[in-house]
Amino acid sequence: MKLCRSLAAALAALALACSVSLAGAQDIKIGYNSDQSGGGAAEHGLSGRFGVEAAIEDINKAGGLLGRKVVLVNRDDTGQPPKSIQNMNELIDSEKVVAVIGPTNSGNALAWLHLPQQKKVPVISHVATATEITKRYEKEAKNYIFRVSMVDREQVALLAAYAVKASKTKKIALIADSTGYGQGGVKDATEILKLHGVTPVANEKFQPKDTDMTSQLAKIRTSGADVLIVYALADANANLMKSMEKVNFFPVTVGSWANLATPFVNIAGKKLAENLIFAASVTETSNERAKALNARILAKEKNLPIFVCAAQGYDSMTILAAAIKKAGSTDGEKIRDALEAVDGVQGIIKTYNKPFSKTDHEGLGVADFRLAKWKDGRVVDFEDAIAKSLTPADLKK
Amino acid sequence: MSRDAHLYAFPAAALALLALPFFIANEFYLKVMFLVGVYYLAAAGFNVLVGYAGQKSLGHAGLYAAGAYTAALLTAKLGWNPWVAFVAAGIVAGAFGIVIALPSLRVKGPSLAMVTIGFGIVMEKIATEWTEVFGGQAGIHSVKPLSLGTAPFAMRDWVLFVVVLGLIAHLLMRSLLSGKYGRAFLAVHTAEVAAESVGVSVYRFKVLAFIVSAVTCGLAGALVAQQNQYINSDFITFGLSIFFLLVVLFGGGGSIYGPLLGAIVLTMLDAFLARWPHLQHFVYGALLLFALYAMPDGLAGAMRALGRRLLPKLYERPPVPTAVAEWQLQRSEQLHKEAPLLEAKGLYKAYGGVVPTNDVSIVIKTGHVHSLIGPNGAGKTTLLNILSGIVPPDRGTIGFNGVDTTELVSNQICRLGIGRTFQNLKLFADMTVLDNVLLGLHPHMDVGFWPCMLGLRSASRQEREARDEALRILDFLGLLDRANEIAGDLPYGVQRRLEMARALATHPKLLLLDEPAAGLNPQETHELIGVIARIRDKGITVLLIEHHMDLVMAISDHVIVLDYGAKIAEGAPAQVQADPRVIAAYLGAETEEPAAAPLPRPAVA
Amino acid sequence: MEAILQAVLSGLALGGVYALVALGFNITNNTTKTLNFGQGEFLVAGAFIGVTLVLVLSGKGHTGVLQPEDVTIVKYLTGLAAILVVLSVLGVFLYYTAVRPFVGAAGLAWVMSTIGFGIIVQNTALGIWGPAPLAIPSPLGNEVIRIAGAGVLPQEILIFVVSIVVMVALDLVLRKTKIGKAVRAVAHNKNAAALMGINVPAIVILAFVVSSCLAGLGGLLIAPVTTASVFMGLVLALKAFSAAIIGGLDNPRGCILGGFLLGLIESLIGLWHAELREISIFVLIIVVLVFKPEGLLGRKIAEKV
Repeated sequence: MKLCRSLAAALAALALACSVSLAGAQDIKIGYNSDQSGGGAAEHGLSGRFGVEAAIEDINKAGGLLGRKVVLVNRDDTGQPPKSIQNMNELIDSEKVVAVIGPTNSGNALAWLHLPQQKKVPVISHVATATEITKRYEKEAKNYIFRVSMVDREQVALLAAYAVKASKTKKIALIADSTGYGQGGVKDATEILKLHGVTPVANEKFQPKDTDMTSQLAKIRTSGADVLIVYALADANANLMKSMEKVNFFPVTVGSWANLATPFVNIAGKKLAENLIFAASVTETSNERAKALNARILAKEKNLPIFVCAAQGYDSMTILAAAIKKAGSTDGEKIRDALEAVDGVQGIIKTYNKPFSKTDHEGLGVADFRLAKWKDGRVVDFEDAIAKSLTPADLKK
Repeated sequence: MSRDAHLYAFPAAALALLALPFFIANEFYLKVMFLVGVYYLAAAGFNVLVGYAGQKSLGHAGLYAAGAYTAALLTAKLGWNPWVAFVAAGIVAGAFGIVIALPSLRVKGPSLAMVTIGFGIVMEKIATEWTEVFGGQAGIHSVKPLSLGTAPFAMRDWVLFVVVLGLIAHLLMRSLLSGKYGRAFLAVHTAEVAAESVGVSVYRFKVLAFIVSAVTCGLAGALVAQQNQYINSDFITFGLSIFFLLVVLFGGGGSIYGPLLGAIVLTMLDAFLARWPHLQHFVYGALLLFALYAMPDGLAGAMRALGRRLLPKLYERPPVPTAVAEWQLQRSEQLHKEAPLLEAKGLYKAYGGVVPTNDVSIVIKTGHVHSLIGPNGAGKTTLLNILSGIVPPDRGTIGFNGVDTTELVSNQICRLGIGRTFQNLKLFADMTVLDNVLLGLHPHMDVGFWPCMLGLRSASRQEREARDEALRILDFLGLLDRANEIAGDLPYGVQRRLEMARALATHPKLLLLDEPAAGLNPQETHELIGVIARIRDKGITVLLIEHHMDLVMAISDHVIVLDYGAKIAEGAPAQVQADPRVIAAYLGAETEEPAAAPLPRPAVA
Repeated sequence: MEAILQAVLSGLALGGVYALVALGFNITNNTTKTLNFGQGEFLVAGAFIGVTLVLVLSGKGHTGVLQPEDVTIVKYLTGLAAILVVLSVLGVFLYYTAVRPFVGAAGLAWVMSTIGFGIIVQNTALGIWGPAPLAIPSPLGNEVIRIAGAGVLPQEILIFVVSIVVMVALDLVLRKTKIGKAVRAVAHNKNAAALMGINVPAIVILAFVVSSCLAGLGGLLIAPVTTASVFMGLVLALKAFSAAIIGGLDNPRGCILGGFLLGLIESLIGLWHAELREISIFVLIIVVLVFKPEGLLGRKIAEKV
């Protein structure tokens, strides 16, 4: 028994040693909690982190925040909710970060949202797109969750508007993966299509790691749909394309921004990849700042899988810094209030003029999105007659 | 750990653990402590299944899920009181324990692993796919946390709660596993056939072990769901099942402290290496790879070995008295000498083309010593196996002491009064000599599950009485001074005597001995004659299989001869010795000179 | 109707990979009563090494992107050669560190140690290649072949053909050659085999080498169809293990049968209700084991009392 206790004491000492942060006492700590090695969304998490780190570098070069250095405390949640929750506990309670940027997986966000909300720590989701993330605490006096990313609701608004116009038979089918991301997208799509007076004729599901969707496609073909909205990650979407080739069924297919990731074109091949139209915002060639950020990160990291995540990460950090400066303190509540008031922030994607308000915690909206597709191995804007004919009225949400 | 040491150490440790949360302000550390407690709780019960009963399950995440989702659904969807839901979670998980136990009873080794893996994955998939009920990956929100009064538990309250649960679990497991039940579980693990032969129903104990492990894993799941106020299918993974197994194996299965050590070390590694995920996975892998090599008995085993060397007093077993009273065999009913005790009629057993038992009928008379002889392959052991319930006969009936035992299984037949030893020794080799005999007393220790687990006076009293009787039985066979030795370390001849002692402890009316003299030297064989005589004088009827003809002739009242599965002769020893059919069976059909005193086949040493 | 044919063809291809890995389990189980619970990671290793070699031969870095014209049959086969070499070494390493210390020891220590070995392999792969999936186009091209309306990829046909060829070859070796007899002897009774002059340690090492190479081959075959990712190993290995158990772990033909059976069932159930796929497979496995614990073609072992 005594030995057990001395072992426990030794372990406690080890634990304390581990917990000593590398940051100095005066530094401002920003937490980063994302999937960086777990699987589907890891590339998003890694790219996002590169963007955040670049922003922090710029901030520190300009003298830091409130005269103090900014430090990133990075935690990898490997895409698992229990781990993500544990990371939030650690970041908030042990590391005492001022704010958290993350996560990548919508499911993970939904699991720990109540933690920063209860502990009054602002969170900016730079990747996770599930609509509910910023909506859950909307009705509360103070909502601590913000987002600078392509929120699903707005993406789906654009996709649905296009789908409805592109469908000759008005028979639209949905297919998605079984995760919170896919199913959340399906929920948004069903609701928005209803606003257009359309009910989906098929709603199919597959596992995120599936490679054969031929049976689901067979069912969709039987339903008579000529347009397909797909909500899943890049590798699954690529396999969907391959499955389409197998059954020789090529409806008009629209998907989410996930298809910006290079695995999509790598797995599906250049030719098949051209069959998918998806929502996108900024790309590495959109403007001068984007080009510069891209070149800079590539020089440092050698590989930047998904540029838009880096851009969103950069902008999240920039807006956060602006809010901290405006609040003049590191108090969570003050920063949160400042976020709703901050204005005129120059980011990579655009200039953010009053990005957040009491009722709107979305930094980006459908006006910032457009349609794109892969052509010959590169992402290009997609403009056809239907896309050109879309008006703001069509973008029901 | 010895009882006295535990009596002092436990309250001290309990107080320290209850005080600790008040000295930790960092909520993350409190959360880690909470998780240590949760995993300890799961592992404490899982240890009964894996460490004691030896059933390695790789699907207990499914039981964790059963508890977690029960708590979640009852509070979030049906609005139940969270405390009631917590208890219900344990009960529902226990029920699922039975579900996973039933198919697992029939399989061993990799097939058992597969069945449990399958169960775990099916539970995981149900939670993921049946989204109407379980919410899939979106999960279930607003799971109600436990609360005292109006305020829900804060992190510190959770830690205190889990510490209290852990202390209770420790006490319950300790008292359950240190007596009759612990021994029975270990017996099931070590030698199932032998366990059955001493009246331990392997079936019931496996199911019991599954239920105990299911309840604690389910409660662990409920705790996590209620503390997070959220659960989704991502919490239920194959990795979690492996983690439970790792906690028990790394901590040290078969030890009460194993789960505690395993839970502490692994949970802390998980939490504090989280900032370096690659290092963390690497450590896991290395741990799995090397820890079992360096510490085959886990951390607890290594510490026990160390502790024995540094603080021997802590691990002393209670001393063995030098002299005990003579062993008296109490009988609830008196048997009439000379009356038929066992009547077998027309027993027939075939394995494909081989018929080891071909229409055999025998009568065993109370108070006599019967011998069963015949050439190798005559079907003697098969007959014994049929009589003791290990093998069911294809045809025929057996009546024992007025009861038809034809369809009964081993442990039931043992309880009716037939005990046996085995041709290939089946001792519980890792247990002490005393514990082996105590297992023999199992059918006569009627104290139930709850009194044992709660450590009631009736349980400890019966344990004491059993121990006294076991010592007397050991003395009867001259093994008293070896009581605290490990059975597997004994010399062969002593081991054979121990198996006899164990069989005697079942208070048999009929004792079946399968080649008791095999491997004994002539001196020991001669002593065996005396031993069997003394057993007979205690009022136990004996049936023995033997090849040593001098032993058979010296001790038997009645001899039965088998050849090619059929009974070819029976009667008094001298009568059988002169029977020409018996001579033909042993020496062959054509014999030129009629032998005056037939030479038996040399005993197979 | 063509949907069913489609499912059958895909199922046979998938089943071929399961069968190969299951056969690997069978070989080590028969000779040492252990199996490599980290076999899935060996499959991953095979896939990644093959892809990397082709990348290198095409002049691209190890995380580059392969275009269909880069993947020629010659490069693919060179990749196979590399896999066989590396995985043989890995198999030997596995045997010495994770299996030999625990053979015959009570408890299932070797389960944990092989899982641990697999975790280390996985993390090494993660460190070298990162979490992103590595795509490799098939050396036989990506044109879908139409058979009675159902589409099948040339790679899927390749998987099926290669698995059958490998299995027949192994079966012949086991039954007709001297070394095959030696392996079977060791499987039956190690001590007796040693007494007959068979070099038992060498045979056991050979068993692990063959088992690991089978996993590596499986990885290379399936990579063009499912994309190689560091995380694909566990599920594949679990299914292959299930296939082996259903077919009878100690019977090589049983393992092969189990593999194809599982692939077909998975594919056909996927046709009917995609989300019930895994549930039904594992429920089926449990049911089979309840009634036939030794597997469909396995041998019942009676304990001598």
